[in-house]
Amino acid sequence: MSEAGTTLPRHVYVHVPVCRSKCSYCDFFSLTPDRLPVTSEALVDALVNQARAWAERGVPPAGIDTLYVGGGTPTMLGDGLATLISALAIWAGAESDAEITIEANPESVTPEMLELLAMAGVTRVSLGIQSLDDDELAMLGRAHGASRAIDAARWVTEAGLDLSVDVMCGLPGQSAADWRQTLDRVIATDAGHISVYPLSLEAGTPLAAAVAIGDAPEPDTDVVADMLLEGAAVLKKSGLLRYETANYARPGQESRHNTAYWTGAPYLGVGPGAHGMLTAATARSAGFIVADGVDRVRYAIACSVETGLGIMPEVTVELLDRGESAREDAMLGLRLTRGIDDGLASRAGVTEVLEGLAADGLVVHADGRWATTERGWLLGNEVFSRVWAGE
Amino acid sequence: MTDPTLIRNFSIIAHIDHGKSTLADRVLQLTHTVADRDMQEQLLDSMDIERERGITIKAQAVRVMYDADDGQEYQLNLIDTPGHVDFTYEVSRSLAACEGVILVVDAAQGVEAQTVANALMAMNAGLEIIPLINKIDLPAADPERVRHEIEEGLAIPADEAVLASGKTGEGVRDALEAVVRLVPHPVGDPHAPLKALIFDSYFDAYRGVVALIRVIDGSVSKGVKIRMMASATVTDVEEVGVRRPANLPVESLGVGEVGYLITGLKDPALVKVGDTVTLARHGATEQLPGYREAKPMVFTGLFPIDGDQYPDLRDALERLQLNDPALLWEPESSHALGFGFRVGFLGLLHMEVVKERLEREFGLELLATAPSVEYHAFRTKGDMVVVHSPQDMPDPGHLDRTEEPYLKVTVLVPPDYVGAVMELSDQRRGTFKDMQYLSATTVELHYEMPLSELIMDFFDQLKSRTKGYASLDYEYIGYRESNLVKLDILLAGKAVDALSFVVHRDKAYARGKVLTEKLREIIPRQMFEVPIQAAIGAKIISRETVRAMRKDVIAKCYGGDISRKRKLLEKQKAGKKRMKNVGSVEIPQEAFMAILKVDE
Repeated sequence: MSEAGTTLPRHVYVHVPVCRSKCSYCDFFSLTPDRLPVTSEALVDALVNQARAWAERGVPPAGIDTLYVGGGTPTMLGDGLATLISALAIWAGAESDAEITIEANPESVTPEMLELLAMAGVTRVSLGIQSLDDDELAMLGRAHGASRAIDAARWVTEAGLDLSVDVMCGLPGQSAADWRQTLDRVIATDAGHISVYPLSLEAGTPLAAAVAIGDAPEPDTDVVADMLLEGAAVLKKSGLLRYETANYARPGQESRHNTAYWTGAPYLGVGPGAHGMLTAATARSAGFIVADGVDRVRYAIACSVETGLGIMPEVTVELLDRGESAREDAMLGLRLTRGIDDGLASRAGVTEVLEGLAADGLVVHADGRWATTERGWLLGNEVFSRVWAGE
Repeated sequence: MTDPTLIRNFSIIAHIDHGKSTLADRVLQLTHTVADRDMQEQLLDSMDIERERGITIKAQAVRVMYDADDGQEYQLNLIDTPGHVDFTYEVSRSLAACEGVILVVDAAQGVEAQTVANALMAMNAGLEIIPLINKIDLPAADPERVRHEIEEGLAIPADEAVLASGKTGEGVRDALEAVVRLVPHPVGDPHAPLKALIFDSYFDAYRGVVALIRVIDGSVSKGVKIRMMASATVTDVEEVGVRRPANLPVESLGVGEVGYLITGLKDPALVKVGDTVTLARHGATEQLPGYREAKPMVFTGLFPIDGDQYPDLRDALERLQLNDPALLWEPESSHALGFGFRVGFLGLLHMEVVKERLEREFGLELLATAPSVEYHAFRTKGDMVVVHSPQDMPDPGHLDRTEEPYLKVTVLVPPDYVGAVMELSDQRRGTFKDMQYLSATTVELHYEMPLSELIMDFFDQLKSRTKGYASLDYEYIGYRESNLVKLDILLAGKAVDALSFVVHRDKAYARGKVLTEKLREIIPRQMFEVPIQAAIGAKIISRETVRAMRKDVIAKCYGGDISRKRKLLEKQKAGKKRMKNVGSVEIPQEAFMAILKVDE
């Protein structure tokens, strides 16, 4: 794994802030096409230009390992997405074994588009299926139905691409049986990677409002806990092992891009609403003002096409010192099933905290590593907040 | 010094909201004591809280000069008394400084509980009572009915009652004429040794303690050495004067005169309401009758929510005490709440006012434990323990018997609500004594009831069950034997001292059950199961459980989420820090409030 220092980012995230419609639970930055002030061609050009500008700012991508185009709904760009991918792959000097992922929604992919994307270099598709129950999909405000989702999954594998599927549990009104059915049908798509998200009611979303005013029942956390445990057991039986809080994969199919986030590797973010993380040295050479003592710079590009799309986009930054970086790495590392090693725990100064968490049955220590227990997995916030606070 | 025959000392007494302070304001205007342009609403109520709540907490005394119809100029001393039952003793001392009172009755509301209580106090003090029917400008005014109520209910002749409106000023001159004509002038011996009654005091940051006095015999002037007889304090008189309403120094105060006296004393505890001032040399030998030590009736623990504010709370209490010697306090520590004070108050209103002033004027955030009274616990070995705090209660094994303070409670209510009052009083362990019709629309009920029941939001309950019609008065009648127990609340097996309280055994089960249920709702789920138990001694009387939290995890955490989710976790952790930690259990502030309001 990469360590802090002058390490150049080997991971790039590109944010495509367009969606056909806004889902009822989503609080990510995206615009519907009628509110997008530029054409999709212009959007593609601008994203590529912003990426290229990083090289001019002294951050040449150093043989890119992973590229992730998310959103939003990148597939809303149509053929423009393939153009974007090939331009970025060339710019980035992607390694031959680079992992290039796109996010896609079932309603906006076609077999033809997937073939084109495969030719452009895409290796992996993260398909936002969310549920295979039409009523649940309607409640979530998704633009697709269950049968289209199953077709889309088949087209991904037919195009020779790795398939990852997102599903949600703990939906208002969802029963244990409903959940089990969605799970079985998702497993049947033969996806090598599955992400399981309990619904999180984000402030300001229509679904959170519906729950707050009593239009939708609030999911009971005990029921959700049971759904997560059931999901882990069923997926394991099918060969998909949990490797992170929400992520399951067949061995070897874990997301390399996302793993970079959890292991403290620097990454570039491109596009309005995208985030990046650079070492202090890299950030300085890119023109950020970085005080002494800073170890790591996180930046967030403005959530606005007007200010977030240029070659020097408006950003807000967060500066972390060495101790904070280490505690952040420890906190994120504990999301992984394999946990963190003793060295990181000691660098972060959280060995005592971990011993306390172990006494509460939330983590275990074995073979020089600290990792969460099943209880610690479901009560992750207790683990994360105590490790981050260092007390 | 004024000829006593040209002096009239009087007070205005009324049930709350019957317009006493507005009327006093009109008197100041009519006598040009205050220029119209300086007039602000309720001038005599100088504290914000007094004005907002429409109550008078501190006594005041204003001298006004009045040109009467008989062509003479009279010195009228208007002594404004506290208008609440918590301050009965203070009222009695103010009345002792007067020869007469104006009894104000609202023309629409009619006679209410404190009208009766105040009228009785004035009668017992032997004062001339001038009935005044106020607010006659109101559409709902019914002076004839009210006149009848005064005559029937209070046995005070009211055919010559003054009809007035504090709002329009109508009848105010009639009231002052009645004072001149009917209130006897003060009588005293100007050559006898000085005897002056202290009826209130306040603290002036530049002058020290200022006593408000009424001279009975002799005179007092600047420079003499005086002795306060009950507190046995000798001091020099730095200044004497009268309040108009600003302080105006005078040479001396003689028989019948009312004014202030500055001694330079810095400790308000030495200047006691009800004490007698005399000369240090050749002084009086006997005190004026009626002196009593201020005695707190209601106690509560006050704890700063932020433990760092403990010294600030102490300073604030010290400063409030300067103007409120009845406020008593001692340090108290609680495992659950840290360091604070056990504070004694004259009554519930006094407690609320003090808490509000501490929060508002001193910027403190406070947590108050359940109010309690002073219980007496007799141990099997024969001695008595005075119980101010539930923690003082002896173990059940060593307890022989217990006593608690009782009140005589008077409720005035329209006949339709008698049933509701009876029901509530039954629930509050009240013993019905008698009932009488004051008029066709007002019934007077008498109960004997433990003070501890009254302080548990009895007045709020009474108001809500009678649609606001009931009025309440009470007086202390002494200790009665009572079967009291200490109820403990245990969280995760550990007693939380700040949640304990003393309760009658018959009510302990119901209270324990309601409280554990309420706490189950208030205490958030934690990593471990939290049993909530109510116990008397070692005996568990009810139990609830807060189930362990099973899932609390941010599932989605990718590149764009890290900063945001980290902040979310910090916020969550800060929220937990505001809770009080007892053992491994995190208790939100509301839990400590829960025991203050428990409906069975």
